[in-house]
Amino acid sequence: MMSLKALALAVGVAFVGTAAVAQSIECGDDTLCKVKAAGVLKIGTKDDYVPWSYRASDGSFKGMEVDIGKKIAEVLGVKAEFVKVTSANRFEFLAQGQIDLMIASASDTAERRKIVAFVHPNYYSSGYTVLLPKTVKATEWSQISSQTVCAVQGAWYNKPAQEEFGVKVLAFAGTAETESAMTQGRCIGLLEDDNQINVRLSNAKWADYQMPLPIQADTPWGMAVRQADQFAPFGYFVAGMIAEMHRDGTLLKLEADNGIKNSAFLTKMHDALKDHLD
Amino acid sequence: MITDIQTFFRELAASGVNLTIFYDAFDFDRFVTGLGNTLLLILASSFFSIVIGAAGAAVLTLSKGPAAAVVRGYVAVFRNTPLLVQMYFFYFAVGSIMPVGQNEIGLPQPLIGSFAWAVISLSLYSGAFNVETFRAGVGAVHSSYEEAALALGYNRRQAFFSVTVPLALRFSFASLANNLVDLTKATTVAYAVGVAELLYVSNQIWSDSLNTIEMMNVMLLIYLVLTGAVVFIINRVEAAMRLPGFGLGDGQ
Amino acid sequence: MNPTNLLSQILEWMPFVLQGFALNILMSLLAIAIGTMFGTFLGLGQLSPGWIIGAPSKLATQLFRNAPWLVLLFYCIFLMPYQINVGGISIQLPSWLRATIGFSFPVAANFSEIVRGAVKSVPRGQWEAAEALGYSRRSTLFRIILPQCITRMIPPWMNLYALLLTATPLSMIVGVEEALGRTQAAVQAQSDSRVLIPMYLALLAMFFLYTWPINRLSLLLERRFRTK
Repeated sequence: MMSLKALALAVGVAFVGTAAVAQSIECGDDTLCKVKAAGVLKIGTKDDYVPWSYRASDGSFKGMEVDIGKKIAEVLGVKAEFVKVTSANRFEFLAQGQIDLMIASASDTAERRKIVAFVHPNYYSSGYTVLLPKTVKATEWSQISSQTVCAVQGAWYNKPAQEEFGVKVLAFAGTAETESAMTQGRCIGLLEDDNQINVRLSNAKWADYQMPLPIQADTPWGMAVRQADQFAPFGYFVAGMIAEMHRDGTLLKLEADNGIKNSAFLTKMHDALKDHLD
Repeated sequence: MITDIQTFFRELAASGVNLTIFYDAFDFDRFVTGLGNTLLLILASSFFSIVIGAAGAAVLTLSKGPAAAVVRGYVAVFRNTPLLVQMYFFYFAVGSIMPVGQNEIGLPQPLIGSFAWAVISLSLYSGAFNVETFRAGVGAVHSSYEEAALALGYNRRQAFFSVTVPLALRFSFASLANNLVDLTKATTVAYAVGVAELLYVSNQIWSDSLNTIEMMNVMLLIYLVLTGAVVFIINRVEAAMRLPGFGLGDGQ
Repeated sequence: MNPTNLLSQILEWMPFVLQGFALNILMSLLAIAIGTMFGTFLGLGQLSPGWIIGAPSKLATQLFRNAPWLVLLFYCIFLMPYQINVGGISIQLPSWLRATIGFSFPVAANFSEIVRGAVKSVPRGQWEAAEALGYSRRSTLFRIILPQCITRMIPPWMNLYALLLTATPLSMIVGVEEALGRTQAAVQAQSDSRVLIPMYLALLAMFFLYTWPINRLSLLLERRFRTK
């Protein structure tokens, strides 16, 4: 009997908490129309990628990607709602409709294009290399082959780094764990994207470290929408926003605002798209 | 033959079921390593958890002093907190105050690696459940057996080890099988401290190839086989140790 | 930075983590309710003498008991739709709710075994005595056997609940914002590996303080209900 009552209560809670009444405005498959009707743009982003996307202590999201998302929602005249995604679930969440736009430091690769649509132009770019203590004297990847490096689970470069350079990858859930593992001596360095290492090196805490190895496989990051939205108003809208943010310098400014050194990719895109009359 | 298999799974991938582990040599190697590590984790942790469980139950039965209090405290803490968090705590917190050796290029290297920590953590977690199991087994042996042994001139310790324990073991099998099945399933948690077991390698494979559902199905099958094997082995041991005329159940 | 600073930094993040812990509790309560209901059906199904009900109940119980929880979670998160339409109303199933459903499967299977075990623990003589008194199998089960079983089932049921609660952090891996996931995000945002140990210690304490009294109570009840 007790469990029946608890069940009734629980079901009640579940429905009060989640029942969203249908928005039956005639939008069909037009995501742009649906977003405007709902007044909310649901954006998937990570919460463990300082300074691109992370948390404030009140639970809200912060970082460069979050600022980009807010900008897009602002132009649409809707509220930006951020949904935490992980490397393991972000593509499924987008396909299922739990989010409408993904800005989650996802590299734009051929494998991933089979599942979601990346909007072009790309909004960012990074390669991968290793953060090493200065005591390690290595300037070529071949010198650290068969050594262990720490990395974050789900990063796309974990596989090529193992296959091409023979390093051993010890992967953890996030960057706090990888840092901690490195300081305990469980790996010689951190396998990360070059932007992140640059951010670290600008902090005095990392004065004894450097990134001496050549940067590999510079790959652009893409915002993603559902495949059905790629050649539809929503996809075109996002594409236009990205192009304009490159052109008017918004992305360069957001990068600087979040304490990241202006990257070569953003500078190059800004130059390529800038107004010929200026 | 092998190329035939690879071709088959490559064609299968084109039709939507992407099992990279059967045609990509790199993924195949990772997966086999993962399976091997999972098996090692199960064997090592099962062994140590049974040892811990038996020792704990013996202490609880034979002693009433501080030793018993320590065992009870240990069981309470490990049974009432998430294994995943325990594992993290051992690896990052306790691991940082452990002795450090040196590797071949002169950098510091901890003596206890990921795998060893995972075994320690899993054994302690599962051991806490085994303590309860064995203690309940001892409790299920009717006190008349011990009294009979004492009457035959055994002292209390001898009566415990020669009479109560062998009978208690037989009462414990069902619950022990349950614990070991849980342990088998729990080995997946070792992925959190970087042990390349099945979940860890599967996670890497589906991050690269985006074949999450296929890899999940493969994992489900493998774990069903593994837990089935654990139950089978326990049942065989139980059958081999069955005493004629010593029935179980029936209200004891 | 000095220790007081570190402490205030950690305290600043505690509300964020505690909200996550509230979700752990909510998920566990819902999952135990759903799991208990279906587990009762499965357990009685297992006792059915006919194979039409008995065999599928046994199969489902074994399948969901032996599959790793994490794998069941992945199925529920990735295979269940985000929105379902019931009579023109669309109901959203956020990831925590789908994870809850994922937890309900192993809970139901374990409870099914508890029911079966409890019924089997009643001595056979009672069935025979009831039969001799003219009771049908059904009324023997519901009027004689089950009432005795309830007290025997409560302690293992409470243990199952404690086990379920300590398993809820697994949903972090599929992106549910529960306490462990939030602790990780908090550690990340502070970019300071020294907070790692105290943050995890606080998390352990939360789980312990909630689960330990439940286990104690279950032990007390077990002693109380024990029939010799």
